[in-house]
Amino acid sequence: MMIKFWGVRGSIPSPGPNTVKYGGNTLCLELRLQDPDRLIIIDAGSGIRELGDSLSFSKGAKDQLDTEIFLTHTHLDHILGLPFFAPIHNPGTRLKIYGPVTCEEDPLESVIGGQLSYRYFPVRQHELGASIEYIDLKEGKYDLGQGVTLTTKYLNHPLLTLGYRIEYGAKAVCTAYDTEPFYNVFCTDPSDPSYDGVLASEGDWAARDENSRMEEFFKDADLLIHDGQYTQAEYDSGKRGWGHSPIEHVMAAAGRANAKRLAICHHDPLRTDAQLDELARLFCNPGIAGDRVIFFAREGQEVEI
Amino acid sequence: MDHVYPNRDFHLKRIQATIARMPSLSTTVVKVLETCNDPRASANQLKQVISLDPVLTGRVLRLINSAYFALGKPITSLTRAIIMLGVNTVKNLALSFAILKNMKGGGTFHAFSTDEFWLHCLGVGVVAKSLAGSKGLLPGEQEEYFVAGLLHDLGKLPLNNQFPDEYFQVCQSAGKGSDPFQHAEDRLLGIDHCKVGAMIARKWRLGVGLVETMLHHHQPDDATENSRYLVSTISLANQIAIKLKIGTAGDFISDRTRLDLLTENVGVDYRQLIDFNESITREIEKAKIFLEIVQK
Repeated sequence: MMIKFWGVRGSIPSPGPNTVKYGGNTLCLELRLQDPDRLIIIDAGSGIRELGDSLSFSKGAKDQLDTEIFLTHTHLDHILGLPFFAPIHNPGTRLKIYGPVTCEEDPLESVIGGQLSYRYFPVRQHELGASIEYIDLKEGKYDLGQGVTLTTKYLNHPLLTLGYRIEYGAKAVCTAYDTEPFYNVFCTDPSDPSYDGVLASEGDWAARDENSRMEEFFKDADLLIHDGQYTQAEYDSGKRGWGHSPIEHVMAAAGRANAKRLAICHHDPLRTDAQLDELARLFCNPGIAGDRVIFFAREGQEVEI
Repeated sequence: MDHVYPNRDFHLKRIQATIARMPSLSTTVVKVLETCNDPRASANQLKQVISLDPVLTGRVLRLINSAYFALGKPITSLTRAIIMLGVNTVKNLALSFAILKNMKGGGTFHAFSTDEFWLHCLGVGVVAKSLAGSKGLLPGEQEEYFVAGLLHDLGKLPLNNQFPDEYFQVCQSAGKGSDPFQHAEDRLLGIDHCKVGAMIARKWRLGVGLVETMLHHHQPDDATENSRYLVSTISLANQIAIKLKIGTAGDFISDRTRLDLLTENVGVDYRQLIDFNESITREIEKAKIFLEIVQK
């Protein structure tokens, strides 16, 4: 398997002189299987535009593209590139778009297809050239055929969001973004008038249990691609509850789960190349990371698994 | 003259359509909207407001159990559901169903009032939780008893919503004492609230315990061995709530023989029930103040 990062930024595309090295496009991953040749795309952030354009360079590939897109969730930064993914305008393209249901239980087709209406985009969904099948996913295990298996896991984000574990030929790649550690959302301060001891201890237990389920999900992954938008200090300064992880937590969780390599992504739009280089110097050196390869994902970067 | 409805399938279709779009109760909807629209509302407040609304509690558990179908054991704890789904997801879910009421109307409650129905559901939940606590069940397990009590009569909502005139007749007929409530439902509508409740619990994937509670809370001996204690406790809590006149869901007749039998099966005595009375009243008053329905 080969992974290529076409977008690694979180929240909003962030072009400019400060994001040249790591890139400003929002999340999009290309997972390429070599035998048989199969393209799996994870997320349709702004990075998917260039992925789509790259396909036209392979002779005939764009016209006959048959691929799957797995959306982690439907927040805008993960779907806004789809209308600009050139193959969707070609009649020969066949797409399967997978993603989680929303809490309102609207079908994926209306959530994703909603942005393909005149108020947002000049081409309407039913005018697209591509044939698109939408498939709602929940937490579970799926056989994707050709020896590829998919395990999905709900993450901790302010919208139902799925992590994907794709296994093929005894190798596993796992995505866990956008997410933050589960924590006890209930009041734990006995001096607070709303304190409820039973609720507080039950909440502690449930959060611990969910965090260990999360580590079980990415256990022994050959590559874990994880949200690391903040440092612990940033996270503790009012970012808890925003659905993004502190880097220190991710490194510890990856260690406990024995993930072989860790790619940190969903970089904050305000994070400059210089700041990411400095974070890499702090966190990715062998003195801190140990035997585990840890890196801050860069747009255009390819990783062989 | 009483008559049997010939078109049971037609009734079932209407009931199923109602189940798909059941609104929150008007008793709780104002507070649900207020809490869920408040960005500063805490998780504790959110849990409190949801646990006072049987429809919303069912909806949250439905989301968690249908989305997380690989979990194996169904989740019956709201606390756990809120941790897993997150405060914002639960708030959005609650808002979307609270707003349904305005779109479609809450159904005509002339068989019994919404406030009285809500009070009965909450009463059975609170009594069931107290009974579970008195038997030494852990706090996490007590919540399942509360939820089961809160939801046990949910099957009455689609029937009352779709067939208000017939349901009024059911209540009148059962109120005379000659015809048990379930029999009157069956005779006049071709289906009873226990079966409708079980349909809801199955559709919402609420798990075997809650399905059996909905289905067998008037005949706990019919429950499977694994669920029988839970169902018996809810059945007893229901009888106690009727006896103490904590709200009403249309069934006013307290059955002393059944009460005695259930008390024995669950393993509590009347002295304990008297002790419960005070704490149950306190809990319910707290809920009323929270929902600001005291001033209504």
